[in-house]
Amino acid sequence: MNHIVSVSNVSKNYNLGQVVVPALRGVSLDVAEGEFLAIAGPSGSGKTTLLNLVGCVDTPSAGTVTVDGKQTGLLGERDLTRLRLHTIGFIFQSFNLVSVLSVLQNVELPLLLQRALSARERRERVLALLDRVGIREYSKHRPNELSGGQRQRVAIARALVTRPKLVLADEPTANLDWVTGTNILNLMKELNQSEKTTFIFSTHDARVWAYASAVVRLADGQIQDRVSAEEAVRAGGLPTGRLV
Amino acid sequence: MGFLLDLRIAFRSLFQHSRRTFFLATAIASVTALLILLNALSTGVSETMIRAATTLSTGHVNVGGFFKVTSSAGGPIVTEYEKVIEAVKKSVPEMESMVHRGRGWAKIISDLGSTQAGITGIDIKNEPAFRKVIELVSGRLEDLAEPNTMMVFESQVERLKVKVGDAVTLSAQTTRGAANTIDCRIVAIAKDMGLMSKFGVFVPVETTRALYQLRPDTTGAIHIYLKPQFVPEVTAIAARLRGQLEKLGWTVMDADPNPFWMKFQTVAREDWTGQKLDVTTWEDEVSFITWTLTVLKGLTAVLLTILIAIVVTGIMNTMWIAIRERTREIGTLRAIGMQRGGVLRMFLYESLLLGLMGTGAGALAGAGLGAAINAARIHVPLSVQLFLMSDRVQLALHASGLVRAALFITLVTTLAALYPAYRAARLKPVSAMSHFG
Repeated sequence: MNHIVSVSNVSKNYNLGQVVVPALRGVSLDVAEGEFLAIAGPSGSGKTTLLNLVGCVDTPSAGTVTVDGKQTGLLGERDLTRLRLHTIGFIFQSFNLVSVLSVLQNVELPLLLQRALSARERRERVLALLDRVGIREYSKHRPNELSGGQRQRVAIARALVTRPKLVLADEPTANLDWVTGTNILNLMKELNQSEKTTFIFSTHDARVWAYASAVVRLADGQIQDRVSAEEAVRAGGLPTGRLV
Repeated sequence: MGFLLDLRIAFRSLFQHSRRTFFLATAIASVTALLILLNALSTGVSETMIRAATTLSTGHVNVGGFFKVTSSAGGPIVTEYEKVIEAVKKSVPEMESMVHRGRGWAKIISDLGSTQAGITGIDIKNEPAFRKVIELVSGRLEDLAEPNTMMVFESQVERLKVKVGDAVTLSAQTTRGAANTIDCRIVAIAKDMGLMSKFGVFVPVETTRALYQLRPDTTGAIHIYLKPQFVPEVTAIAARLRGQLEKLGWTVMDADPNPFWMKFQTVAREDWTGQKLDVTTWEDEVSFITWTLTVLKGLTAVLLTILIAIVVTGIMNTMWIAIRERTREIGTLRAIGMQRGGVLRMFLYESLLLGLMGTGAGALAGAGLGAAINAARIHVPLSVQLFLMSDRVQLALHASGLVRAALFITLVTTLAALYPAYRAARLKPVSAMSHFG
């Protein structure tokens, strides 16, 4: 089985003045291509830190992170940026859309940075994706004219527009109501299955585990276990089945 | 593609903060307009000075000199001037026209007053440029062709209390040291032309010869007028002419950037007799008044430095605020794959656009205001006239000056954003994304 992500014995410490705060302690994790993996754990458990390291926006204090066969610690700033642009898509809890750009322009942004497609090809791909996530009619709107769910759909479209091998989603449903959140998860899952894109998403909401192909549970910066969604739900005593 | 995206983000970010953009663009526009007006004033004074100087007392290049009968007695004379004119014609192909004028210094005595003045002898029939520039208050310039006539300026009329038709006496020392007088009739009174016209009168060139008892083949100086495109090269042309005249056998004085009348004492102290030629430029001949231009340029520089410091501070502060407000956006853009250079460009374009908008408006405002000031023909008091070389405020508005000022301020505003933009580009994506503020 090919691993898109390999995290090996990674630690991450933050210096708060004189105090060293360990966020991750000796974490090792392999993620196979096409997985829909949930990183679960309470606030402060190290979920976001782990996603930041896998997303190449931060570097580990110790250990190695390998993404798409490239060991991130050996790459310079330019190469890390290039790796993020071509291999990874990001979905943020607060959507993080560029407020001065329209929906279409926000989604087109990574393609413009890649400079690989013509204007016509970019437009076609963006509109097709907006269609897929159900917000094509809002393509000319600005983010502040959309609801939370619509914004997150834009963020998903932006993350997927470059057809990345890996999409990282940090608490993608945390700022959404339950119904909207489950719609977003269904959409992500559907795209995972149709595009074979690997998704790693963090959550502290046990109801979301049911969507994952596997759940990695973190506590105090360490991996507690890696279980299937059913096992995780059973262990957590939470309801199973589709929530919509 | 990336360029257009960066520009689009920059443009929209400016409009998202329209109030801040408006105030900053207004400040930039004001500085640009002020720079344009100050430059136009300075250029206007300079152009007026050149026009007045090259009309009243000098060509672009002059061949003057001194003839000393004994080591202590002599005058500002060029002997056998026609030979010099021939040599000049061969040596200065950039020449447009040439005149020769008598020159000296004399006391003018009227029935009710007297004054010291520089005497310039002209052949009015051969001075078309002079006739174009001089504005008469009364009398006729053509009458200056008659012997023993004189044209004076308004300010001298006040001192001498004369009018057209009155007689005055010119009293001066000849080149041999003898006192001589000549009676002249006032035939024309001209409007003042700044400081240049305060101490000079015009008489026919024969009258200067008669006053200083000179032969017909002598003159005071040969004034050479260059084709306009060669005027900026005046110093090099003068140096070349100096060398040519030496080669042709004349003794030529070393280059001395002062008017001829400041050289009397130096020449009198030197132990030689005969003819020495002196090649000067218009700047040398009016060097005693170019301080006004220096002061004006200095004042402009000081004002400009202060204003630019204010603009730079404003731009930098605005950029810091913008970066603080958009730290999360910077983090997101970096996370999704924008290189540091992209972030740097984004903020530089924002400042560039702000600069272009501000300077564009400023250039229009400056040009409009300058044109309005010129159209209003604002008269200034006598003391200011001396400074401005004109009786009214005259601004020289050239398209090249407007463009230069606009580009300069735009460059300053863009460079002012360089450091904040660099700092923004250096932000780590992870810390930028977790920024709240």
